[in-house]
Amino acid sequence: MESAQKKDVPVVTVLDPKFKYEVAREPGGENIKYCFQCGTCTSGCKVAEFDSKYNPRKIIRMVILGMRERVLSGDFIWLCATCYTCHERCPQDVRIPEVMNALKNIAVREGYIHPAFRAQAELIAGYGRLYEVDELANEKRTDWGLTEIPQGCPEVAEIYGITGLADLLSGGAGGKL
Amino acid sequence: MPSMLQDTGFDARIGVYVCHCGLNIAGVVDVEAVRESARFLEGVVVVRDNRYTCSEVGQKGIADDIKEFMLNRVVIASCSPRLHEKTFRTLLEKSGLNPHLLEMANIREHCSWVHYDNHEAATEKAKGLVHSSVARARLLQPLSRTKGRVVPEVMVVGGGVAGISASLYLGGMGIKTYLVEREPSIGGHMAMLDKTFPTLDCSLCILSPKMVEVAECENIKVLSYSEIEKVEGQVGDFRVQVRRKPRYVNEEKCVGCGDCVAKCPVKVKDDFNRNMGTRKAIYIPFPQAIPPAYVIDDQNCRYLTQGKCKICQAVCERGAIEYDQTSYVETIEVGAIIVATGFQPYDPRGLPQYGYGRFPNVITSLDFERLICADGPTYGKLKRPGDSQVPKRVAFIQCVGSRSVASGCRGYGLDAETGSSVGATDPKAYCSRVCCMITAKQAFMVKEKYPDAEVYVYYIDMRTAGKGFEEFYQRGRHEGIVFLRGKPGEIEERDDGCLRIISEDLDSGCILDLCFDMVVLAQGLTPPDGLVEFAQKMNLSRSEDGFLMEGHPKLRPAETAIDGIYLAGCVQFPKDIPDSVAQAGAAAAAAAVTCSKESIEIDPLGPVIDEALCIGCKLCEMLCPYGAIKVELTDKGPKAKSIEVACKGCGVCGASCSTRAITMKHYTDSQLTAQAKAILEVV
Amino acid sequence: MKMAVFLGCTVPVRNLSYELSAKRVAGELGLELVDIPEFGCCGYPVKSVHHETAYLLAARNLALAEERGLDICTLCSACTSVLTEVSRELTANEALLDATCKSLGMLGRRYSGKVKVKHFVRVLYEDIGLEAVEKAVKRPLDMFSIASHYGCHYLKPSEIYDRFDHPEVPQSLDRLVAATGARAVDYRTKKDCCGGAILGVDEETALSMARAKLDDISNAGADAINLICPFCSVMYGANQRKIGAGRDVKYDLPILYYPQILGLAMGISHEELGLMQNPIRPRALLAKIS
Ligand SMILES: Cc1cc2nc3c(=O)[nH]c(=O)nc-3n(C[C@H](O)[C@H](O)[C@H](O)COP(=O)(O)OP(=O)(O)OC[C@H]3O[C@@H](n4cnc5c(N)ncnc54)[C@H](O)[C@@H]3O)c2cc1C
Ligand code: SF4
Ligand code: SF4
Repeated sequence: MESAQKKDVPVVTVLDPKFKYEVAREPGGENIKYCFQCGTCTSGCKVAEFDSKYNPRKIIRMVILGMRERVLSGDFIWLCATCYTCHERCPQDVRIPEVMNALKNIAVREGYIHPAFRAQAELIAGYGRLYEVDELANEKRTDWGLTEIPQGCPEVAEIYGITGLADLLSGGAGGKL
Repeated sequence: MPSMLQDTGFDARIGVYVCHCGLNIAGVVDVEAVRESARFLEGVVVVRDNRYTCSEVGQKGIADDIKEFMLNRVVIASCSPRLHEKTFRTLLEKSGLNPHLLEMANIREHCSWVHYDNHEAATEKAKGLVHSSVARARLLQPLSRTKGRVVPEVMVVGGGVAGISASLYLGGMGIKTYLVEREPSIGGHMAMLDKTFPTLDCSLCILSPKMVEVAECENIKVLSYSEIEKVEGQVGDFRVQVRRKPRYVNEEKCVGCGDCVAKCPVKVKDDFNRNMGTRKAIYIPFPQAIPPAYVIDDQNCRYLTQGKCKICQAVCERGAIEYDQTSYVETIEVGAIIVATGFQPYDPRGLPQYGYGRFPNVITSLDFERLICADGPTYGKLKRPGDSQVPKRVAFIQCVGSRSVASGCRGYGLDAETGSSVGATDPKAYCSRVCCMITAKQAFMVKEKYPDAEVYVYYIDMRTAGKGFEEFYQRGRHEGIVFLRGKPGEIEERDDGCLRIISEDLDSGCILDLCFDMVVLAQGLTPPDGLVEFAQKMNLSRSEDGFLMEGHPKLRPAETAIDGIYLAGCVQFPKDIPDSVAQAGAAAAAAAVTCSKESIEIDPLGPVIDEALCIGCKLCEMLCPYGAIKVELTDKGPKAKSIEVACKGCGVCGASCSTRAITMKHYTDSQLTAQAKAILEVV
Repeated sequence: MKMAVFLGCTVPVRNLSYELSAKRVAGELGLELVDIPEFGCCGYPVKSVHHETAYLLAARNLALAEERGLDICTLCSACTSVLTEVSRELTANEALLDATCKSLGMLGRRYSGKVKVKHFVRVLYEDIGLEAVEKAVKRPLDMFSIASHYGCHYLKPSEIYDRFDHPEVPQSLDRLVAATGARAVDYRTKKDCCGGAILGVDEETALSMARAKLDDISNAGADAINLICPFCSVMYGANQRKIGAGRDVKYDLPILYYPQILGLAMGISHEELGLMQNPIRPRALLAKIS
């Protein structure tokens, strides 16, 4: 949808005016259209301070403009540390980290998932938690006088089935990123 | 009386007029269909639709019909009765009908405007509203209005520039005016300012002549150090109880020589100087104060708190010190009231990320006015409070407490001692309108006094709509003030007391990491302290932003929903000095109109009490918000009595009476039931 | 007082000393922590991938606690945030509760919206109370200077935490540290994020974020960092060497979990609190006590 680059001039000729409504319908994205581009979010964002790839204000701007493809396929939306610093200060209650979550949720459905997040999601489906609790771990726990923890938690995988996340993950989500 | 309310049984002859209101109604509601649906309702003799019923032609049509068809009831389906009820009642009266035989169905605000997206349903609803109005119209009864007296005097509450201006206009018209001010002196916030935008005139130089004029005008009586306790009555005839706080100094005797101050042993923080300097326990807020009399601060006076001292009494040659003064209530009768109680600057402690109250060199715009003012605590030298150094780099941050929705952790602080959250004000959603210009002015003043100082302004949008404002902003840029688009998230204090701000500079795309010697927060303007209780006393409503609500946002900006009470200045919404003065003029004119009347017609909306049914339980007396119904002992036992002049016809008594002894004159039970039944038949 | 302890994924495998010390200290203070073996992932790590799944995972844990009639006490701040958010949403939003119950029904579970969630440290601060904590101190740690890292999800988003502390001027951890007699060290970047959440996305940025704080804390003269979240512990503990190595800096900043600090002050031995099992062994620190 975006046209050619003229010596690093990002010229955008096509915008998707529906994108902002799509994001607003997603849990967490409800307030996105309130943004008045004050820059408070980026001013306090630690990630933005250390990494020029990430600028929450600009991401919100791109969504409002309707740069759907560029936003959803960008790895920058995965860079939010969800520290909520901006959330506390945004004068328009845009709820930026939740907006980032909304964008990531849409991206996943569109086939873009960051490999690190894919890996986490798969681990959880398998073990019921982020880490495997193997016999060794449980031995150590009992040594310390702590209770054993059951290995695996099948209900978690069941939940993935109920919500459709299992299908999303097996259906090749993430192939694009 | 009660018999008048019963259906006298004579045949109703009703005319029904459905208004298009251009396309306001007709663009949504099928007006012809509504008209036709009313044609065969019981009692209806004529139905018509008009493009504009309120127009000359529309009105004449109705007048002609009244004659030709011998109408004795008129139903008009149009806009809100708040807009045109008066117009049409006058029309009925001129046509020889009692004005209370009019019934209006609101098919605009209550129908076409809110249901613009569903034409069919809106048309059905309009039919329902018209049918129910016809049903009520059949039962309407002629009522006679009573006349109330007009006291040709006015009370102005709040002695800022708005209240002062209103009083001067009124005094100039020869109208006796009481100016009630909570503080020991009139002057309000303008008295605290150094210079005023965009012309940079010295604030007190232009205000104090007006204050002197107030003091000298024989029609104006200043009641300083006083507050409103209670308001009763209605337009033309208000009784206001004013609480006069004790000054402990006789205003008449005190000549302001200041001998007492020199000797008073108690030093406290000076609130007029935003707690940056000190004053004595006996003081005058500022040299130009009106009334020019001293006052004893009873929270801090050694004699009044500990029982010994009396030094000021000993030194006062005029014998003006009166420790035995007490507060008392004075009742004043006036025909109109102007509310001009101003604003309160936003307290930035509600946004602790900016460090106000924690970092001494973070100040607010009002603090800045005192610091830069020749009469201020630093005699006009801009010394930063932390170490009295003159700052070389100053930053201003805009929209502190404005243009922000209150959620997240905004709007509260933490008590350093207990760690529990303490109330501070929530930031406000609205734009405070004057702060951009205040900052432009203050940034300019820094440059003017210290040309080598670097001055930066962090902003979201610069709003400079006003005569000479944009030009002033341009001049500021020319002087070298740098305007940075991008709002900082927080201020950090370094060990040397300097203040670090990291922000996104939207225009260059850079992250700026800068240090300043002083930061000025452009605090928003919020409703004045105590406005909630004040509005309750006066029965005034507030708009969503917390300020007092005007009578109509466009057409009655200086009036309120209550006849006889008017608004001036920032209490209606933040505004600058010229706008405050202009609104004061409008309010004064409106109040003068009221005072020029010989009498005022009072709508006969009150209760009729059937003594046979009344058991004297006092429920109505307890519930009436206006004190307009009282139970009195009669020879038949205790019975409720209506006090007509005080009654506003709200109907609380009628609705609450458990024995149904009360009927509201213009809203009888049978009328309301008929109305409800008719609408239910349609839906 | 009795609560279900929600350990999360990381604590029971990688931060055993946090769990051990928390349980030990809780016991002393009359807070009974009950293990629920069926607890699974809190939902936080999948919230950004699939909102509904995250909510359901959280709701399942709430249902497990409700079955036993217990409120939840958490050790990890990320778990705290998603469990608190979901428990509040489910209480406020009936339609969501109905939909959630339907899905939970497929697992044979139910939830009626009764469970409240609190971080362990917040329980100490609010329910046990600073006074009781102070009273329990037998060996004041006045030889220690400790810098607290609040992390993000312990206080933010603030609207789900009843304003019990202010994320812009946080005090609770410092007050709890001061209650043990130690000096609570103030430092510039106190409120900043550890960067842990993006470690897998951009390691360089994540480590830079952690480094900025390590530098600050060292410069402020702290003996140790006070932590209350296993995620942050990954950044400041497990990765401390790595961060230093990149720049030839050798940090020696022991990390301590708050219950370990309190435990020491209560006179509990460092073995019982697992101090030497922490990612950075606090040798110098322990030498100071004895
Ligand atoms: C820092 C700052 C700088 C400004 N600079 C400029 C400028 O350069 N140019 C400009 O045009 N405007 C400026 N303004 C705006 C200007 O101050 C206002 O427009 C003006 O003061 C409004 O006047 P007012 O009478 O409505 O309110 P106020 O000045 O607030 O006066 C209200 C008065 O009512 C009294 N009062 C309040 N409640 C009660 C009560 N219940 N009973 C009795 N009395 C009560 C108060 O004590 C006060 O005396 C500035 C404002 C600020 C904050
Ligand atoms: S802080 Fe809020 S309003 Fe301001 S730019 Fe960021 S998202 Fe937009
Ligand atoms: S929540 Fe995300 S966007 Fe907001 S400040 Fe933290 S990392 Fe930046």
